[in-house]
Amino acid sequence: MSKLSKIVLAFIMVAVLCFCSVACVSSKDSSSSSDASQSTDKSASPASQRKVSLSLATNWGEGDSKFAYFQPKFEEFANANADSMEIQLITYSTEDYKTKIRTQTASGDLPDAFTFWGGPLMKNMVDAGLLLDVDEYFKDSTTVKKDDFDPSSFGYYTAADGKVYGIPIESTRGVFLVNTEIFKKYNLQFPTTYDDLKNVSKVLNENGIIPIAMASNGGQPAEFFFSEIYVQFSGAEEELDKLPSSKKFNTQNALKVAQIIEDMIANNMFPEDTVANGGWGPCLQLYTDQKAAMTYTYPWMFEFIPENIQEISEIIPLPKMPGADIEPSTIMTGFTIYGFLINKASYTDPVKHDAVLKLCDFLASDDLSLSLTNSGMVPAKKIDYGMSKQKLIYQKMMKYAEGKKLVQVHYTKMPTQDSLNMLDTSLDELFIKALSPQEFVDKVQATLE
Amino acid sequence: MNKKISKYIIPLLFIAPVFLIYTIFLIVPLIITAYYSLNEWNGVSEEIFIGFMNYKKLFANSDYWITFFNTMQLTAISLIIQIGFGLLIAYLLYNKTKGARFFRTVYFLPVVIAPVAIGLMFSLFYNSEIGFFNKILSAIGLKMLQTSWLSNPRTVLYAVMAPQVWQYIGLYVTIFLGALQTVPTELIESAQIDGAGKARTFFQVILSQIRGFINICVILCLTGSLKSFDHSWIITNGGPGVRSAYLGVFMYKMTFINSDFGMGSTITITIVAISLLITALFNNFSVTEERGRRGINA
Repeated sequence: MSKLSKIVLAFIMVAVLCFCSVACVSSKDSSSSSDASQSTDKSASPASQRKVSLSLATNWGEGDSKFAYFQPKFEEFANANADSMEIQLITYSTEDYKTKIRTQTASGDLPDAFTFWGGPLMKNMVDAGLLLDVDEYFKDSTTVKKDDFDPSSFGYYTAADGKVYGIPIESTRGVFLVNTEIFKKYNLQFPTTYDDLKNVSKVLNENGIIPIAMASNGGQPAEFFFSEIYVQFSGAEEELDKLPSSKKFNTQNALKVAQIIEDMIANNMFPEDTVANGGWGPCLQLYTDQKAAMTYTYPWMFEFIPENIQEISEIIPLPKMPGADIEPSTIMTGFTIYGFLINKASYTDPVKHDAVLKLCDFLASDDLSLSLTNSGMVPAKKIDYGMSKQKLIYQKMMKYAEGKKLVQVHYTKMPTQDSLNMLDTSLDELFIKALSPQEFVDKVQATLE
Repeated sequence: MNKKISKYIIPLLFIAPVFLIYTIFLIVPLIITAYYSLNEWNGVSEEIFIGFMNYKKLFANSDYWITFFNTMQLTAISLIIQIGFGLLIAYLLYNKTKGARFFRTVYFLPVVIAPVAIGLMFSLFYNSEIGFFNKILSAIGLKMLQTSWLSNPRTVLYAVMAPQVWQYIGLYVTIFLGALQTVPTELIESAQIDGAGKARTFFQVILSQIRGFINICVILCLTGSLKSFDHSWIITNGGPGVRSAYLGVFMYKMTFINSDFGMGSTITITIVAISLLITALFNNFSVTEERGRRGINA
């Protein structure tokens, strides 16, 4: 090959490579609605003239308890509006979903609307001005109004600036379930005090039954159990309310709770393998498989409790812990846990505004909330969902909840994301006895300082 | 001067595509990461320049040192087991063991399975209630060795390491088998004629012939261990706490769970620095040893 041909060939190779690199790097407008949402195209004509591409993200995908109740409603909505909008539905399992949204936030690719948690989890998006103040949405919507919701349900989505950045969909309640048949089999009474619990646990252990299906993997479900014990102590509720501003986790009450959990572990009240049995699913499975006599769970897991187990399950107050001042039978953890957020840039984009508004109306609709209640969800919206049509365990929960004072949990009150994550991972270590109670509270507190 | 330029222009043009890819996808991100490591950044708001504060915070963080030593342990164990067993098994196969072809496939099979699948499989095996391992121990009369593999702080790290170390032995078997086949048989025969036994032939003739391959495998093993993520994440998410986490997992948690992109970038730079240091030290050691060997043989 002549020298000139070699030079030409080399130049051609470099040019082809550069062209390919540029082609790969450039984004495609038609498939990325979020790119469009970041820019305000003032010259574009209103959405009525053309189909608008929207992206909706949620963790209510396959495998989630709400999938069977959300998906048909979503498809119905998407088909009914197929002329004016094309909706890309993005779903991931819960923990992957959180990471996905965080990554998309960092890459400037936030979905137009997406279900998400409030409190510390939405803080970064609020600080960056990415989320819409929902008062703007309520002003524009003709079908959904703020008064349709319980006022207290907006607390979880209220940021430090006093504005509300999310619309609540799901409220929840913590329940302590007991398997009445196991208790009957061993002639046991439901425990009302910690000493009762110790005696009951001894008998259950002797018979190869795990007393309480409670473990910690990524802090689940231990974090909520921690809060359930915490609120039995005087001053705890106030400490929780002030936590976002005080940033004080290492209170005497927190230390007491950690010590109680340590003692519960020493008395073999939990499964031995707290990592393998940690997580909402594995924990509940020990209970539904009748390997455990008691468990602590939330309505989003009701879909996974078989009917026969619902029939033999009773909801009782968590036993009163040593040193506790508040009667557990008078309180119940209850709070807004989930809702949806609106991408501010998408909502204010004249091209997308009407479509996003319609999508949000769907997400906040009575119809969707009604459908989701079939999964065991307690709706944040004031709707009549016909108690008799709900699952038996749900009916038991709502009956139990009557007259109870609802209290918050650490999940909604921790000031920052990394302090919440540290609480979760430190609970894992507390449960495997790798941390002492003092080390546990100190480790979480260190992230707040 | 023109002659010099024209002499190199063609080689430069041919190297240019690779150099471009390397620069765009490796060097530029590395520089950007180094920049982010000097900033406090949650991935969303504006970056705030804080100099080396992230490094100071990181080196004062006990979780970082736990993950660092976890990674060093993984590296050491991988080197010993993967290289050691890889070489041993390859040598056995090379000596035309019966069924060598079958075993060659069997040993390589785990390498092609996705780490996610291996991780999920082992997380079930380790379950103390329904897991395979505890049942086997019970069946063979070793019930006292039963434990909650993933909940026991003494065993969780090694439980997470085991599938990863096991999975890639086959890769080194394949590389060493190829290496052994490049050794001239005349050398082996002449060593045997001179009275060298099998062990001496292996250590003094064969090993020195495949030294280059061993060096490459050591570098592969080192760099692979330093960037480990999959098995730890799938089996335990690096938990409880960071007890089964490696530097890669710690970086991921910081960046994508805690949304601390600045700190995540800092951890990445330390991983790069450690990798470069270990690789440089090893290369230096190899070169020195090679020179020493040539000095002896001269």
